[in-house]
Amino acid sequence: MVEFTLPKNSKVTKGKSWNPPAKDAEPDRWREYRLYRYDPDTGENPRVDTYWVDMNDCGPMVLDALIWIKNNIDATLTFRRSCREGVCGSCSMNVAGTNTLACTMHADDAKGAIAVYPLPHMPVVKDLVPDMTQFYAQHRAIEPWLKTDSPTPQKEWRQSREDREKLDGLYECILCACCSTACPSYWWNGDRYLGLAVLLQADRWIEDSHDERTGERLDDLEDPFRLYRCHTILNCTKACPKGLEPASAIASLKRKMVERV
Amino acid sequence: MATPLKRARGLGAAHAGTETFWRQRVTAIANIPLVIFLILSILCHIGASYAEVKAYLAQPIVAVLMLALIISSAIHIRIGLKEIIDDYVHSEGCKIVAIIATTFFAGIVGIASTLAILKIAIGS
Repeated sequence: MVEFTLPKNSKVTKGKSWNPPAKDAEPDRWREYRLYRYDPDTGENPRVDTYWVDMNDCGPMVLDALIWIKNNIDATLTFRRSCREGVCGSCSMNVAGTNTLACTMHADDAKGAIAVYPLPHMPVVKDLVPDMTQFYAQHRAIEPWLKTDSPTPQKEWRQSREDREKLDGLYECILCACCSTACPSYWWNGDRYLGLAVLLQADRWIEDSHDERTGERLDDLEDPFRLYRCHTILNCTKACPKGLEPASAIASLKRKMVERV
Repeated sequence: MATPLKRARGLGAAHAGTETFWRQRVTAIANIPLVIFLILSILCHIGASYAEVKAYLAQPIVAVLMLALIISSAIHIRIGLKEIIDDYVHSEGCKIVAIIATTFFAGIVGIASTLAILKIAIGS
C-alpha cells in the first residue's frame, strides 16, 4: 500500500553510540556503522544505533563488520547470514542506500558512515531480519518446478546446448529479494504484484525446454497486477547483487504474452 | 488467518492486461509523430488569424491527422490514468470512483475534440 510517511510505530528514532573511538585514535582505523535496530519484545519504535568497527581487526566486507559488532560490542544485534560468499542470499539488506548482499559488499565501496537497514518495505521481524513469508509464498505460487505430460524418458531428459543457454541469467537467482524490494511497485502492491525475483523465476520455467506447461504458466501470470505492475524503471537490475537482469526476464514474459494475443 | 499461499494466490489471475499493455505501446508510438505534427502546426500558425487556422484544420490530411491524434491520445490517457490509479489508490471505493471519473474525462475530451475537428473539416 502506498505510504508516504512511516506509520507511527515504525518511525525511526535516534539510538545510542556504542563505542565511540578515542579522540586521539588512529585515523581511518575505526569505521562508523549506523544500524537499524528493532526489538518487537520491547514495544519501542525502531532506532538507529551507531557502532565503530576496528578495521585492523575486521574483514573487509560489510558482513564481516556486522559479525565483528555482534562478537565484540553488541551480541543482541540480529541478522541473517550463512554462506558469506554470495550464494545463499541470506544476508540481503539495504547497505548505504542500496539493496545488496552484506557478504559481497566491500565496505570501501561506501563513503563515510555506512547505514545498514533491513530490505525496504518488508515487515521487520527483528533488527535487520525482514519477514519473507509473502515473498516465499509468491515464489511457491508460480510452482517453480518442472511440469511435464510426456512420459518420463528411460534415461535423462535431453536438452540442446542452445536451450540450456536460454536459462543463463535466470537459474543463477538466489532469491535474496534485493530486486523485488527495490521496486516501488512491489512496495505499493506487493500483495498482488509478484515482484521481480518471482517473475524472473517464472520466466526460468517458461524458458525451460523440458517444461510442458508454458501456456498455463503464462495464463497464471496474465494479470494487471501480477505482471503488469512492472513499469520498467529498472531498479531491480541495478540492485541485483548477482548481476542478473530481472527486467529483461519480465520483458521476455511480456513479449510472449503479446505474441499469443 | 489465511495461509500465505492463499494470500499470494489471491483471487487468481484476471487473464487480462496484455491487450491494454499492447494498446498503450501502440498509441505511444502513434503519438510520437502525431504530437510532433501538432507542435509544428502550432508553431507554423503563431500570429495567424482565426480564418487561416480554421482553413488549415479543414484540409483533409490535417483533419485526419488531428483526429488520429485525438483518438490515440484519449485511449493513451485513459490507460495511463488507470495505471496510476492501480499503482497508488488502494481503497476499493475510491478506486472505482477514480476509474469511472477518468474514463468519463478521457471520453468527453476525446468526443468533444473529435466533434470540433469534424465541424471544422466538414462544416457546421
